[in-house]
Amino acid sequence: MMKEFDYLKPSTLNGAHNLLVKHKREAYIFNGGTDLIVRMREEITNPNVVIDIKGIENLHEISYKNKECLSVGACVKLSEIPKYKDVTEKYAILTEAIHNIGSIQLRNRATMTGNICNASPLADSATPLLVLDAKIVIYGKEGLKRVLVKDFITGVRKTILETGEIVTAIEIPIYEKPIIGLFQKMSRRKMVDLSTVCGTVARINGEIRVALGAVSPTPVRGVKTEAFLRGKVLTDEVIREAGEIIVTDISPISDIRASKEYRLDMAKLIVKRGLVHIREGQLNWGEQSEA
Amino acid sequence: MKYVGKSLKRVDGIKKATGTLKYVDDMKFSRTLHVAVKGSAHAHAKIISIDVEKAKNLKGVKAVITGRDFSGNSCCKRVGLYLEDKTFLAVEKTIYKGEAVAAVAAETKKIAEEAVKLIEVKYEELPKVTSARKGMKKNAPLIHPNLANYKYAPIFFPKPNTNISNHFKLRKGDVEKGFEESDLIIENEFYVPPIQHAPIENHSAIAKMDSDGSLTVWASCQSPYAVRRALSVAFDIPLNKLRVISPAIGGGFGSKAGTTLEGIIIPLAMRTNGRPVKLTYTREDEFVNSFIRQALFAKMKTGVRKDGKILAMKNEFIWDGGAFTEYGVNIVKAGGYASTGPYEVENVWTDSICVYTNHPVAGPYRGFGMSEIQFGIEQNLDMIADELGIDKIEIRRLNALKAGSHTSMGEKLDMCGLVECLDIVVGEMDFSKREKSSKPNKVRGKGVACVFKAPSMPTNVASSAIVKLNEDGTAHLLVTAQDMGQGSDTILVQIAAEVLSIHPDKITIKTGDTDHTPYEWQTVASRTTYCAGNSVKSACEDAKEQLLELAQIKMGIYKRDLELEDGHIASKIYPDRKMPISDLALGLTLEDGSGIHGPIIGRGVFIPPNIRNADKKTGLGDKPVVFWTFGSQGVEIEVDIETGQIKVLEVVSCFDVGKVINPQLIEGQVEGGIVQGIGSALFEELIIKDGEVKNDSFVDYKIPTADDMPKMTIKFVENPEETGPFGARAIAEVCMVAAAPAIANALHDAIGVRVKTMPLTAERVLKAIREKKSN
Amino acid sequence: MSKVKHRINFTLNYEEAEHYIEPNVTLLTMLREDFDLTGAKEGCGAGECGACTILFNNKAVNACLVLAVEADRAEIITIEGLSNGQELDELQESFIDNAALQCGYCTPGMIISAKALLNRNSSPTENEIKEAISGNLCRCTGYKKIVEAISSVAKKHRGNSVEGAEKGGEEE
Repeated sequence: MMKEFDYLKPSTLNGAHNLLVKHKREAYIFNGGTDLIVRMREEITNPNVVIDIKGIENLHEISYKNKECLSVGACVKLSEIPKYKDVTEKYAILTEAIHNIGSIQLRNRATMTGNICNASPLADSATPLLVLDAKIVIYGKEGLKRVLVKDFITGVRKTILETGEIVTAIEIPIYEKPIIGLFQKMSRRKMVDLSTVCGTVARINGEIRVALGAVSPTPVRGVKTEAFLRGKVLTDEVIREAGEIIVTDISPISDIRASKEYRLDMAKLIVKRGLVHIREGQLNWGEQSEA
Repeated sequence: MKYVGKSLKRVDGIKKATGTLKYVDDMKFSRTLHVAVKGSAHAHAKIISIDVEKAKNLKGVKAVITGRDFSGNSCCKRVGLYLEDKTFLAVEKTIYKGEAVAAVAAETKKIAEEAVKLIEVKYEELPKVTSARKGMKKNAPLIHPNLANYKYAPIFFPKPNTNISNHFKLRKGDVEKGFEESDLIIENEFYVPPIQHAPIENHSAIAKMDSDGSLTVWASCQSPYAVRRALSVAFDIPLNKLRVISPAIGGGFGSKAGTTLEGIIIPLAMRTNGRPVKLTYTREDEFVNSFIRQALFAKMKTGVRKDGKILAMKNEFIWDGGAFTEYGVNIVKAGGYASTGPYEVENVWTDSICVYTNHPVAGPYRGFGMSEIQFGIEQNLDMIADELGIDKIEIRRLNALKAGSHTSMGEKLDMCGLVECLDIVVGEMDFSKREKSSKPNKVRGKGVACVFKAPSMPTNVASSAIVKLNEDGTAHLLVTAQDMGQGSDTILVQIAAEVLSIHPDKITIKTGDTDHTPYEWQTVASRTTYCAGNSVKSACEDAKEQLLELAQIKMGIYKRDLELEDGHIASKIYPDRKMPISDLALGLTLEDGSGIHGPIIGRGVFIPPNIRNADKKTGLGDKPVVFWTFGSQGVEIEVDIETGQIKVLEVVSCFDVGKVINPQLIEGQVEGGIVQGIGSALFEELIIKDGEVKNDSFVDYKIPTADDMPKMTIKFVENPEETGPFGARAIAEVCMVAAAPAIANALHDAIGVRVKTMPLTAERVLKAIREKKSN
Repeated sequence: MSKVKHRINFTLNYEEAEHYIEPNVTLLTMLREDFDLTGAKEGCGAGECGACTILFNNKAVNACLVLAVEADRAEIITIEGLSNGQELDELQESFIDNAALQCGYCTPGMIISAKALLNRNSSPTENEIKEAISGNLCRCTGYKKIVEAISSVAKKHRGNSVEGAEKGGEEE
């Protein structure tokens, strides 16, 4: 059962910041609430003060900024994001991942920012954001700063956020060429389940990028796999080898959802299927030579 | 027939669709106290001390109880349906992790929970039994050292000074001779893990003790009378002072068949000066503290002739009964006596053994005994067919029980629709044809399973019904068969409407109140349409008889020439000579103004006819069960050979139910059973490690969603059950049984691998694929 | 230490409501305990079963995952708001007609999810229906009749809109 706490709903970023500074570790930011309420109910997280940031108006926006990036405000519900047709077209890997997070009821409350700030190793939106080189916009005492997703999540349920800092938006770069890619999720049950392994494989700006979730303490880029693939034509042999190399990029564990071995197998498969998808996509686009 | 056999709309539909039906947790009483329970920290430990002082002193706490309050006290008798081994709070030692060791009633749930945290329990850990196979060994730590002193029904066989609470033996023919004559003998081991019922409604109960010593319990329970009896024994309350009300049940599947949290709140209610106390389980509690399904380890040896005829079967079933097996001993018996599956086998040797472990309490779950054993039986049969090069349908046709054949227990069947059902399934699904998947990494396959189930109940369990005619020609029907979703309220109203010949809208059914509705043993075992249905039919026939009796005086027509017709008593010969039944509802007024007879109240009682206990030594009997429901299911699946993921595409099912009372509702039963079966086949497993449940939530215990539903074709055969109401038999449980074995067989059909452990998770399937490749 | 109660003003089943509530109470608990709207059920308290689904500003949400204080200025519709006396919503009628309910415990949440679906998409496909209710667990029905019940309402809508369009054509 939830312990008692004060509920505050500031209307400005600065107000929220000041409250967070004032209450320090006693305070928790409250956004979609789908994770925090469960944790409070189980008394895992027991804040003294809950600061609801949904009263801050400009955190609810989703918009293109200076033709450079798509900015998704911290309080934009997951279910809102796929409603923008061009977002679904440009960032299909992201909207597909979002589609796979929880139920409709959950997506009507939860946010992408929340999904990232929870810093779960299996956050479904993390792997597309990783390959897209998305940036987390953080408001703090020195104003706004931007940090790559890969540098933002530092461990299981750990981020670089310091006292008083608030994520205001996630910015996703705009890429001129169409992205060919695939978000994949393996889970025990197809609908409304946590990922056993999830991952995104995409060709962005002419290079192949790979990210996987639920195989390491944080969602990770397949750095070695990407290096191996750089400049290579996606032959069957290259794809097979990439599937072997991904194993060196990750460090899955065994838990009640799957064994380490199965996770390794699925990671390989996600890479393989992703690369095959890209190869076929390139054929369709008539761009085979470019890879 | 007018109402039987028709898709009457559910009589409870409006209240459920509008959300206005009040379940126990929805009920409110003034001055209610809320209960929280202290669960034990260990799976097996001596309780050295429990310090409740701090909890008692917390403001708002009204009562605290521990198992100690009972020890040596007459109100802590062990109770149980078949074997009296259970206490509601741990006494002296705890035997599963999470078992109630203390409970608090307080002004709010929050205070109660805070108080529970203040209770300090000191334990001395004892060696645990975490596997039934190890637990049955002689040197295993004893969980119930006093087993020798427990009371039990004489049809069970506990072994004192062991963890074996029932050893059922079936000995038919000469099994060794059968093996000698066999051309092929195959032997396999199967494992079926514990699962949980997961009704969407968690257990909930409220208890209130009045100043005159009478106690009322509102509980989400399937069997108010069985609960009343258990509580009466446990707390020394005479039955006339104990009232159990089950207002509505949000799904049961067996989990609400026994007595669970009621026993925790009653001692609190006895200490709160008349204030009601309430406890509703959380989902986490539900997974650990209600009931789970017994895990089964099965060894099956089958001997066959070249042509596929089974000559001998030798089985060893070892069941994980958990901490208490008051109910579980009967599951073990049911699995044992049905151990050949729906096939005729002359020589059978089965040992079915119930073992105590330091696991949550295992108990009745839809289809108990059958779901677990048939996973192995049906796979074994496919393996034999493969080995002998016989068609899988043919081997089933050859061995299937038929009219005139003898069941595993030696009972001769007068009638059996199994082959008929199988033929219908084969007609709907072409097993000889392999469908191609559109994707290269996916392979399709088909599998079939034949199943049967008898109501697993004692030979002499009773039902009753009362029907009261109102002065406007409407009626009230009183029974204590509980509608937990299966639709019994509607079915029983249809039966009553048919006999009384009044529209179902004119009948209101009232259930679930031991002070006001008449005796019903339990709502379990798929017995309600049959047992309660028979009692309703007989109550209505009684009312009808009374009406005709009076009408013959009034109308001057012999009653043999009268019948009930649309709310009237009418002459069979001159249909226009009729009178409304409402005129006789309160009796008959004669011409001189005098009255005779009084209100029409029909009384119906039923006990299954001529069922006799089986022989204790051999388990054989000429009429050990009331009837069997037979059926068959075919499934088509698609396997992703790279992930191991199975998708069930289609299920065709056919059962011989004797008579379909309501086509729409019975279809719903089967569809629900199939999907529940698919859940258990593909992903459901309660993971218990070292005595601790690791997935006690829907986050990690997944049950099917709408997306997991296959295409379903539901068929029925209607060979009437002679003793059933309008020929009806049973359906609720048997429809869950076939899914797992049929899917396992379809998996082998698709990709040639056998998975002998449930569930068939993607990981397990992929591992099997790898192993096959490396061989 | 007792925390302050918050005053919240909101619309509950089309009626204005004012209430004082502690922050550590979920919307589900408030609706059930303080307003006696017990149609929404607590099946898991963790957003996994959907039995507590209500409409929050016209969107389906799990009431167990919303704080009651968040209801301030919100528009809330529960299952009780779908019917008016003996007059039932078409979805409720269809669930009854199709026997799309058994124990009834998931039914209120299921119907609300269906309502939210039809509000945003009046003629969903079977797959869209399955997806829309995949956050609502039902242990009894096997879902087939639920999907059929929702489909049949959707079909009716489609029929109406086709009819409407044809009529519109004639008028032109």
